[in-house]
Amino acid sequence: MNIDKARQRYIPMSETMLYILLSLREERHGYGIMQHVKELTNGRIVLGAGTVYQSRGKLESDGLIRAVREEDRKKYYVITPTGAQILSEEAARIREVYRHLEGIK
Amino acid sequence: MNSTKLCWWTPFKYAVPADYENWFEEQALEGWHPVKVSQWSSFAMRFKKGEPKRYRYVVDLQPTPRKDYKRIYEEFGWEFVGQMASAYVWRREYEGERPESFSDMPSRRSRNRRFFWAVAASFIMLAVGALASAGAAVFAPTAPEKRLELILSAAFCALVAAALGVVMARIRKNLDR
Repeated sequence: MNIDKARQRYIPMSETMLYILLSLREERHGYGIMQHVKELTNGRIVLGAGTVYQSRGKLESDGLIRAVREEDRKKYYVITPTGAQILSEEAARIREVYRHLEGIK
Repeated sequence: MNSTKLCWWTPFKYAVPADYENWFEEQALEGWHPVKVSQWSSFAMRFKKGEPKRYRYVVDLQPTPRKDYKRIYEEFGWEFVGQMASAYVWRREYEGERPESFSDMPSRRSRNRRFFWAVAASFIMLAVGALASAGAAVFAPTAPEKRLELILSAAFCALVAAALGVVMARIRKNLDR
């Protein structure tokens, strides 16, 4: 998927997608993604098996992440340059939102 | 004492995935656990009476699952109960907070949409069948008994299609659950 199409589809993206991309800046497998996101958000976001499986499939077929290896029937994934680009643009968007929200109680 | 029972047409009765899951969960709370879930279970599912358990059931439709589909569910602590065609049934015992497999709205909706389109595919086939038989009965110059046969087949297809239409409407209304 080219970058423009990816932008259209993923910016803005859901919190689930955002945290999956964020956690795949390092190689991880399905359960590892869930654990990492749970830790990052202090237990606020607990991804389910179906959600991880489904989102990961979508991100992979859109070229934002790719499989790197398989170990003990577990597939490890990592973010691609396209994925990293999208993540960085989404981060910029969220920073802008954050600035606009400053001062709101 | 009768310690097994048969439940008929369960996926058709509880066509909304969330309803089907809740129904399984209620059965388990009363101690009824499916003996084996496989192809024929969509018609008749055998349950055996045992210990009441608090199970969270999940149904998921995966026509072309990737190699590690089952592995991911198992890693997350789900037990594979069985599968009817491409409909997978999973469960997990719990206390306190009820575990979710589809933890956000977009993924829940896409799970439900997969069920919707599976039913829609059969609906379209039957609707086409009904129209083709009805058309042949009206336009094709055939013997009267042949014509009756065509009308009956059209009526049957239309009836089943209508039932599937109701199911589709129910799933659509419950896409968020």
